[in-house]
Amino acid sequence: MKPADNMKKFFKNAAVNTNPKMDEAVLDKVLSAHEKAKNTRSAFAEPTLRRTIMKSRIVKLAAAAAIIAVVVLGLFEFVKTENKSGVVWADVAQKVQASGGVIFRSRGTALDPRDGGPGHTMNYLSSTQSRLDSYQGDQLIKTIYDDFNTKTVVLVDHNHKSYIKKTFEQMEQQSILLNPKSLIQEFLSHEHRKLGQKTVDGVLCEGLETTDPTFGGASSPVDSLVARAWVSVERGYPVLLESETTRTTGDNEKLHIMAVLDQFQWDVELDSSLFEPNIPPDYMRIEMP
Amino acid sequence: MVEDSLLIWRFKLGNPDALRRIYEKYKNDLLKLAVALTNDVHTAEDVVQDVFVGFAQSAAIIQMNGNLKKYLATCVANRIRNRKRDQQRHEASGIDDSDYAISDAERPEQWAILSEELQLLSNALAHIPYEQREVIGLYMQSQMTFRQIAKVQNASINTVQGRYRYGLNKLRSILNSEIKDETCR
Repeated sequence: MKPADNMKKFFKNAAVNTNPKMDEAVLDKVLSAHEKAKNTRSAFAEPTLRRTIMKSRIVKLAAAAAIIAVVVLGLFEFVKTENKSGVVWADVAQKVQASGGVIFRSRGTALDPRDGGPGHTMNYLSSTQSRLDSYQGDQLIKTIYDDFNTKTVVLVDHNHKSYIKKTFEQMEQQSILLNPKSLIQEFLSHEHRKLGQKTVDGVLCEGLETTDPTFGGASSPVDSLVARAWVSVERGYPVLLESETTRTTGDNEKLHIMAVLDQFQWDVELDSSLFEPNIPPDYMRIEMP
Repeated sequence: MVEDSLLIWRFKLGNPDALRRIYEKYKNDLLKLAVALTNDVHTAEDVVQDVFVGFAQSAAIIQMNGNLKKYLATCVANRIRNRKRDQQRHEASGIDDSDYAISDAERPEQWAILSEELQLLSNALAHIPYEQREVIGLYMQSQMTFRQIAKVQNASINTVQGRYRYGLNKLRSILNSEIKDETCR
């Protein structure tokens, strides 16, 4: 023996199989860890996670009623003090919830520096569809179309000139990426403090800050968290949402995660053509089992 | 690659089917890598199981554009290195490792079933220094580049390439002699 190629061949032939019974046992453990983490996850700490979309009118109305109830009953004093300043936060919560289409940019720190340089995603959300354009620098690398009526996802990989189209049975339950519409309500339902005014991207804003580690989740999923919302005094819509989170991974490593949502356009009409997958003819379809 | 992107994305949205598919797709590769690095099936099984559990818990922080196979392989390598460090600490502090070991009687059924070639390979790899073994495993089995391995090992590319060359030479000579021995019997 043997040049490096032979060694590679040797590695390739050295195989491992698994005992199906143990496979199931390990998979159960993995899925249960996933489920548990899902229930305790901080929404704002995850720039690519969205809350469940409210599809039916009834659900929307019920949710709107609940928001009003929270605001009126739980935050009465808060609302009263807000009247002295420019932003009435209860109104903001209602306004963003009632907003039609939303466009925004999301950025977050990468877990692994090998994944490339700084990137960002442009998000387009309607009540039944979404589109995400992911960029690395100025280059569009990936587009994801999500249709919650047909439960279909189309992922277009521009780097590899390929795409996948897939229907997911559980699509509705898993919906959807971070929905900034729910975030103001989330701020208001946690302990928070006012930050006063500052100018963000040329817009005079007022801010809220929470350090409640349960922000976005049922129990404490993170070691520490600071989340801030900056809302335009004039328009009453969020201009900047940002969070810094420290959490411990399964490998016991401390991770510092930053997430920023900005460049918002609220209550915009989004043309349905925006959500129609645009796949160049030379792209290859990849079948996914 | 594009399939992995979609799997990661669905997984980040909380889809258990995507996680199941990732598990099915990569468990054998990861077990093989872990066996090659540890030469111990039980440890390899524990490490891979822990990596999948950690991965399942970390949906929020997995970068969507990452290479999944290499990411998981790096997790396996990191976890094994942490274990080795803990083990060395225990040994240095005089704690008997057998106190921590799980007896075979208490262990569940074996998860990984190794081919003869893998047993031979893993025995041979056990005779070369760990850093060299790690480079060979990550390069040969997980198709990581020397640059990527250099980041994992926090070393220069030259060092990593040197480790690869030295390790491969030793591995060749060990495997040659073992194969000769087998032939003589």
